[in-house]
Amino acid sequence: MTAVGVGLGVMMLLVAASMPTMLHARGERTAARDYGSAEMSRPSDRSLLIGVQDTDFYGKSIRGRVLRPEGPRAPLPPGVAAFPNPGEMVVSPALADLLSSREDALLRPRLGYRVVGRIGHAGLGGAQEYAYYAGSDRLTLRSGLVVRVTSFGSRSPGQSLGPVLVLLVVIAFVVLLLPVAVFIGTAMRFGGESSDHRLAALRLMGADQRMARRFAAAEALLASVFGLLVGALMFLVVRVFVEQVTVFGVGFFTSDVRPALQPAVLIALAVPVSSVLVTLFSLRKVMIEPLGVVRSATRTRRRLWWRPIVPFIGLALLYPLLRGVQRLGSFNEYQVAVGVALLLIGIATLLPWIVEAVVGRLGSGGGLSWHLAVRRLQLDGGTSVRAVSGIVVAVAGAIALQTMFTGVRGDYVQETGQNTSRAQAQVTFRGAVDGTRAAGAAARLGSAPGVRGALAKATTSVLLPGAKKDDSWVTLTVADCPALREVIRIGRCADGDVFIAGLGRRAPRPGETVRVDADEDTGGGRGPSWRIPKSARPAGQRTNPLGQTEEGVFATPSAVDPRILRTAHVTMLVRVNTADGDAVERMRNAVAALDPMADVMMLTGTQEDNGFGAVRRGLFIGAIAALLVIGAVLLVTVLEQMKQRRRLLAMLVAFGTRRSVLNRSVLWQTTVPMVLGLLLAVPAGTGIGALLLKMSEKPVSINWAAVTGICGAAAGVVLLVTAFSLPTVRRLMDPEGLRTE
Amino acid sequence: MSHALFSEAPMTGGRPDAPPLLYGVDLHKAFGPSRALDGASLHIRAGEVVALMGPSGSGKSTLMHCMAGIVRPDSGRIVYRNDDLTTMSDADRSALRRTEFGFIFQFGQLVPELSCLENVALALRLGGARQRAAEAKAAEWLETLEVADVAAKRPGEISGGQGQRVAVARALAADPSVIFADEPTGALDSLNGEKVMDLLTASARRMGTAVLLVTHDARVAAYSDREVVVRDGRTREGEPS
Repeated sequence: MTAVGVGLGVMMLLVAASMPTMLHARGERTAARDYGSAEMSRPSDRSLLIGVQDTDFYGKSIRGRVLRPEGPRAPLPPGVAAFPNPGEMVVSPALADLLSSREDALLRPRLGYRVVGRIGHAGLGGAQEYAYYAGSDRLTLRSGLVVRVTSFGSRSPGQSLGPVLVLLVVIAFVVLLLPVAVFIGTAMRFGGESSDHRLAALRLMGADQRMARRFAAAEALLASVFGLLVGALMFLVVRVFVEQVTVFGVGFFTSDVRPALQPAVLIALAVPVSSVLVTLFSLRKVMIEPLGVVRSATRTRRRLWWRPIVPFIGLALLYPLLRGVQRLGSFNEYQVAVGVALLLIGIATLLPWIVEAVVGRLGSGGGLSWHLAVRRLQLDGGTSVRAVSGIVVAVAGAIALQTMFTGVRGDYVQETGQNTSRAQAQVTFRGAVDGTRAAGAAARLGSAPGVRGALAKATTSVLLPGAKKDDSWVTLTVADCPALREVIRIGRCADGDVFIAGLGRRAPRPGETVRVDADEDTGGGRGPSWRIPKSARPAGQRTNPLGQTEEGVFATPSAVDPRILRTAHVTMLVRVNTADGDAVERMRNAVAALDPMADVMMLTGTQEDNGFGAVRRGLFIGAIAALLVIGAVLLVTVLEQMKQRRRLLAMLVAFGTRRSVLNRSVLWQTTVPMVLGLLLAVPAGTGIGALLLKMSEKPVSINWAAVTGICGAAAGVVLLVTAFSLPTVRRLMDPEGLRTE
Repeated sequence: MSHALFSEAPMTGGRPDAPPLLYGVDLHKAFGPSRALDGASLHIRAGEVVALMGPSGSGKSTLMHCMAGIVRPDSGRIVYRNDDLTTMSDADRSALRRTEFGFIFQFGQLVPELSCLENVALALRLGGARQRAAEAKAAEWLETLEVADVAAKRPGEISGGQGQRVAVARALAADPSVIFADEPTGALDSLNGEKVMDLLTASARRMGTAVLLVTHDARVAAYSDREVVVRDGRTREGEPS
């Protein structure tokens, strides 16, 4: 049982130790398929046109690229064996599965290509990535969308997280891995009863106390080595299944899951050594006698003096960093990790003393269950404290992390100001739909199933007369009256009207002639000129559904030369039927029918920095894993505790003691240290969080709702574990347990 | 109630013509392939001390556990004051054990975290007594069993003999009708064993409490009014002590 428990913990540590390798391997693959934006402008036998055709399908991101080789030596993207012909595509295995499932009905209209092959591992971020490469013979250059390349692969370094996010990652690792360490420590004490019998038998055969202890230590060492092997085997099994898992769009291949050398060596050494230390520590108050093992029943007062030393050392390690990690630029991650770990472990060292000091003062009045629990805690609170210390440490760590997250959130999460009640999406067309077709395209999109309306506007830049400097460019927006009303404040409006909003002194005067810009999409060079009608009226500014205010010249379609419209970029604000769960996908299909390369951006209230989002999501996954580990530790500890008291419980039930009394007593024995632990964890966690914020040079603010939520989750775990343990506890309480007397 | 089993007059202790307080008839109980009881029968009258004797593994503890309602037999009947224990719910049997029966085990099985006084009071509190009243009565019983000096100590801090006397006090404190004692002196030396048996049987007789004693020690069985021998899961009346 010890080997299995240790093995489980070792497996989790090995997975954690594999994270850097996994991220590195994934990063290498995604970098290998990157390409420059404009390497060369002339076609050659080595050039390839590649266009972005990404889409989303019910929250799943699909990476799409359209390929048009311009010569026989055009570079193949990694993982692609041969260029797909026009109308064909090669797809990732996950996308192939999706297309062959029943769910593909609303995706097929967007991916109207015949599947002719698969993308290999080398071309995918992870096993569950949705991706395709489609062939085309009509692809042409489009600014920022279709580029000409001669090779794949990016040497540019990946996006750095920055010192504050690195600090968050380090703390998150410490907080999430400490419960695993506690779990391994707990697993090493599994099967204590049978071990007692073996030790007693050794004493009977003539071994002295010291020999028996050495035997116990050797037994623990063997079990932990066996646990390491079991853990390694479990790890090999788990890594096979990693391809089936994708979290927030991030997936890996089995071959990515390889523990980094240094952590792996550390695990291989630390687990056996700590198993021996834990065993010797647990035997310090135990007399191993020939007729059995006697655990000290007399109370020995816990000493306080050494307990604050542990967190004090942690504090000393963190002290130099209080000047601020951003000011320091870089910092020693190990110093932070050890410092925070010692602060958190300090909670575990202080908790037994606090529980003893408090329960020693508790009265035994009240119900029988309370009486039994208080007396049990007064005699030996250690077992119950050990059971909850893991969760208390995790709660303190989670509060510290949450406090830090709250403090730095403003730097990474921004309110976009987008108003999702006015529009739910913005569609940007680049070239395929120009200003002359905008109204017709908006009408088609607006009448698509699931779409309640679409307002189109065409924008281009115009150069004011006589101006040469960059600030002389102003925006000309052409749209019908309803669309203009969404972006500026206008009174009456009819086709042919022109308005001027914002710009201040730069505002052109009615009657002036401006020259339209023309980019390479529309042939490049200088565009046509246009005289602003004398009837142009000033208009007020208003915040558009994207949360921005627009300025410039605003014209209705009849007021401008169609040649101008041909040079303009078209965007549309789209309202969808939010009551229809498929509306967004139907809207995407309608957009793809107009231009498969059009960009659909769903409006949202907040926007999160990618790095911060990745850390937050990683932490969320880790927190769930940590809670599961903690729950397992608690469950095993409670059951082990009950097994050790099996005969006593059976005797009490034989006396006629109600099982509910004993159940409540068990619950009290966990709840009292738990409540005391949380009372310690909250100030400790917020204190550590404040330290981390100080290190991040941020003002301290505490999210009490989150703190309450974390404490509630911890209490929930205790209740859940109690509920799970009840069937076994009931079985252990069976008075038939007396039969073994 | 009449049964062929009770046609014989009982030995000493308890009125010979009194109906049995507790009886079990044709009891069978198996644990897996092993038959612990194979047609055992037993009765005990109020105030009677009955010793169940037999070699290890003969089924005497199982018989006692069945009679006490701790273990439900596979077949047969066990009747206590007209109530059939074999048809009672677990909750009812628990209530019966709480209010009518007392128990003494080989190693005392005192609750280690409670003081000796609280251990004795526990039996009373289980019956619904308030803590203060329970502890007052428990103190009297510790006095009777001559262990008042260990009242405040925990079981781990007293000797085996003292612990067993505390266990006897606990068994008697709730005024039970029947005490079930499983090898009550098994872990004691002869001097302490005699002391415990003297106090147990004297107190039980004074209160009119029946005692069902499981032992394989003839000296302990000598305190009984009647011996029943258990062998291979069957019972047989032994010679009077």
